[in-house]
Amino acid sequence: MVGMNRREFLAAGVGLVGATATAGTLAGAVWPLLAREDLLPGQAPDVEVRPHAWQTADDRLAFVALGDNGSGGRQALAVTERMAITYQTAPYGLVTLLGDICYYGSLRRRFDTVFRRPLGPLIDAGVGFELAIGNHDAALHFSDRALSAIEAELELLGTPGRYYTTSHGPVDFFFLDSSIPGLYGPRASEQLDWLDDALASSANQWKVVALHHPPYSSGQHGSTPGAQERLVPVLDRHHVDLVLSGHDHDYERIEPQRGVTYVVSGGGCKTTPVGRSAFTAVAERTLQFLHVEVVDDRLTGTCVRVDGSVADRFTLRAREGT
Amino acid sequence: MAAGIALAGFVIILAPPVAVRYAEVLNAGVGSIDDDILAVCVAMGAVQMVLAWRRVRDQERIAARRLHVWIASLNALVVLALSASVLLLLVLYWFPDEHASLANRGFPVFVLLAGVQGVAILLAEAAARLCFWWLEPH
Repeated sequence: MVGMNRREFLAAGVGLVGATATAGTLAGAVWPLLAREDLLPGQAPDVEVRPHAWQTADDRLAFVALGDNGSGGRQALAVTERMAITYQTAPYGLVTLLGDICYYGSLRRRFDTVFRRPLGPLIDAGVGFELAIGNHDAALHFSDRALSAIEAELELLGTPGRYYTTSHGPVDFFFLDSSIPGLYGPRASEQLDWLDDALASSANQWKVVALHHPPYSSGQHGSTPGAQERLVPVLDRHHVDLVLSGHDHDYERIEPQRGVTYVVSGGGCKTTPVGRSAFTAVAERTLQFLHVEVVDDRLTGTCVRVDGSVADRFTLRAREGT
Repeated sequence: MAAGIALAGFVIILAPPVAVRYAEVLNAGVGSIDDDILAVCVAMGAVQMVLAWRRVRDQERIAARRLHVWIASLNALVVLALSASVLLLLVLYWFPDEHASLANRGFPVFVLLAGVQGVAILLAEAAARLCFWWLEPH
């Protein structure tokens, strides 16, 4: 360049190329990541709750569904703080975790950060936790390392297996491992056969299925490939009442599909955009959890935002003769 | 020139917290809790402005060519932009548990951010001075 010596030309070139590359990297990768992830630490909830304040009976149960809450960051803590505040007025004895309870490392290493610390008030109150395994809970099922991470996770939470059923009051819960090849891959039939049998032998009034990957979703990941072909017919056949899932970081309630209500409740610590599909009843990008109360033949679900406002409320009636 | 470069650095320092704040506003309901982050970045941005303004003013006085000050400042801004955002991201990603533990003991998060931004400012200042020294005739 005219008027520049070799050093000036070199330094100016480095500066200009660096500026261009930096602008591209920051705008294209770094800032979006900073904006999406919930990495900033926050204060653990300081909420006093009365232990065992809930009532579970043959015809009564309250529980919360929380998905994708595993960052341990500010937003995760804001959600769990709201859960503790909600407990004060509407106590519940169970939290169904819809997977991805630990991002950024193994659960064994991060257990205090992502579980004990955010959920401390509820743990101290004696609330139970049941987990449906998510894809971040073990990134690759095919490796021994990932399988051992899952084992460690199940052990830490006292979860009996990768898929299992529990019963609380009038509700039978069916927890699935929906990660590939858990439910939709080549070895899927084993779990689907188990689910078929377990649902067939369920005698309780309500049947709730919890899994990480949503069969129906308008969120960033969308409906899980294979779910509507392989899993949904089983759910239809056994008249499941409610299917809870996460994976997409939003809230979405699906219009009942052949009598089955599907809810995505994945706003436990970070959010991603959600659109609307023909099957969408309500969809919102928000930090949230789902509070569910079952009384006799009525189930009421309330999606609570992190500020305590209600994003959605729905009521289901128990199906007769099922 | 000194004021313009100092102002550019201020904007760069403010970019990461603005990105985080934008996310939290999108997420709805948590928008107010990152005021501490914004405040500390404004403070660190002000420190950067003073340092950059003084450096550019001094370099303009002694430079063999004004172009050297421009080139040195451009390189300093690149280093500042890259380190202010990438350092923050790397520190947050690599040490999430340590942050949680510190926050639990009442150690405020803005001290961490101030530290990261402080390192970024020092790196940028060092880059500017090194580049200027390299360009100047000895």
